[in-house]
Amino acid sequence: MNEALHALVQAVAGWGLDYRFLFDAYSRASLVDGALTTLALCLCAALGSLAVGLGLACALVSPRPVLAMPARAFVDVTRNTPTLVQLYCAFLVLNMLLTQAVGTGNPFTPFAWVVIVISLHKGAFHAEALRAGLQAVPATTLEAAGSLAFSAPQRFIYVQLPLALRFALPALVNNLIDLVKMTAIASAIAVNDVTYASIMIWTQSDNVIEMMVLLLAFYGALGLLVNAIGRWLEARLRMPGYGQ
Amino acid sequence: MPSTDTPLVRLRDVHLAFGATPVLKGIDLTVGKGQAVSIIGPSGSGKSTILRCLTGLLKPQRGELTVAGTAVHQLHGEAAHRPLRQRVGFVFQQYNLFPHLSVLDNLTVAPRKVLGLPAREAREQALALLAKVRMQHKAAAFPGELSGGQQQRVAIARALAMRPELILFDEVTSALDPEMVGEVLNVIGELTEEGMTCVLVTHEMRFAEGISDQVYFTEHGVIVEHGSAEQLFNHPGEARTQAFLQHALGQPGRRRIPDTYVLRNLSPYHLSV
Ligand SMILES: Nc1ncnc2c1ncn2[C@@H]1O[C@H](COP(=O)(O)OP(=O)(O)O)[C@@H](O)[C@H]1O
Ligand SMILES: [Mg+2]
Repeated sequence: MNEALHALVQAVAGWGLDYRFLFDAYSRASLVDGALTTLALCLCAALGSLAVGLGLACALVSPRPVLAMPARAFVDVTRNTPTLVQLYCAFLVLNMLLTQAVGTGNPFTPFAWVVIVISLHKGAFHAEALRAGLQAVPATTLEAAGSLAFSAPQRFIYVQLPLALRFALPALVNNLIDLVKMTAIASAIAVNDVTYASIMIWTQSDNVIEMMVLLLAFYGALGLLVNAIGRWLEARLRMPGYGQ
Repeated sequence: MPSTDTPLVRLRDVHLAFGATPVLKGIDLTVGKGQAVSIIGPSGSGKSTILRCLTGLLKPQRGELTVAGTAVHQLHGEAAHRPLRQRVGFVFQQYNLFPHLSVLDNLTVAPRKVLGLPAREAREQALALLAKVRMQHKAAAFPGELSGGQQQRVAIARALAMRPELILFDEVTSALDPEMVGEVLNVIGELTEEGMTCVLVTHEMRFAEGISDQVYFTEHGVIVEHGSAEQLFNHPGEARTQAFLQHALGQPGRRRIPDTYVLRNLSPYHLSV
């Protein structure tokens, strides 16, 4: 492992790229720590956003205006304002109000605020994709489920949602790839994600180019991973012969 | 001959309008246990609407509907209709199978989730029903991989899997290519011979004539005439019925039942009536 790293660092040194800071235990630890934090952010926000998206989508297609109208308003406001501004707003305003109210008992860390803001923001996008999926399920298919005496929740769980997920999957994967990149805003409130760790290193070592290459490669690899998982899911959930 | 002493379905003066448009204008209809009753009539005459009222998918504004001992017109809300829908199967023109489930799962999901059958029992029942409709070799296939006739036979098996007392068929062969009509009608014919109570909306006049205990002719939301198949098809009393039958039977394209079907299944049954 270490030998391979040495060889790699040696190889790119020929192109004028100096990656020797990777042998510095402190830099390396903070970079690995940052990468793990980004992974944790991605995982938490992905799950959080999907949960938010599902809840919002159900509210959006609800025949009851008390559910549908607030959901629509939330989705529109959230989708049309910058995530970074939302994060500042949450962390600088909400967090401050919360601290004033409960003192040091405030349970929300900066990490938690990032997860919450991204979950809500991306949840609004998921909600639109899922809403389209839910509405694309033919009424006749639902009527068939009804005539088999499914209750409304059973019909949703066993028929409407599985079909809606399949229709919405490409859009959801797209949103999740975007979510991975969006976690970089955590650096704005000093959460030690991979971007923040990189900034700390390049301000000290003056190696912006090397760090940029590393950072872009890292996010690129994560995005490709999400894409691969999406493809795998699409293949798994494929409905043979459907729509032909 | 099945008796009409204990009707499984009874409609009394059923009226239904969509907005200001009256669609059913006083329907009376009775189906005895074990009977096969066909509803024929021109498109738009309200046949599907009658079937949809039977399971409460549509609510008549006036009249009484009793189905399998349940006063359907007195039910309110989705949940109240569930016990009724467990006992009444519905087969649709467009099959409406669940495209994300295999054929086997299409047949097991409702018995398991609604009736609470154990997985193994639901599976065994499903395989037996698939054998009955001659689809056991496609248990692992998905609906999208099947022909229309095959999908419709699976849809019939799916309805049977709920162990219904009554099955409603709404133009179940109208979307099929002519060569597949026979395989579906064969399955329905066998069901009626076994004593399953069936209400069929159909344009297959020969088939209706062959299997029905009673035939109702509807037009513009009223029952113009009803009677035994022999009576209605051979000695219709109303001019409108005569005109419709002449039109329906006169078109060569409508006679889509293969002769083999008529010979193999219908003639003996017909004689025994
Ligand atoms: N949901 C609906 N809203 C308004 N009109 C409808 C609706 N469903 C059916 N109709 C009308 O009711 C009449 C009877 O329809 P239907 O029962 O489907 O006829 P059939 O099955 O005999 O062809 C038709 O004129 C049709 O246009
Ligand atoms: Mg119809």
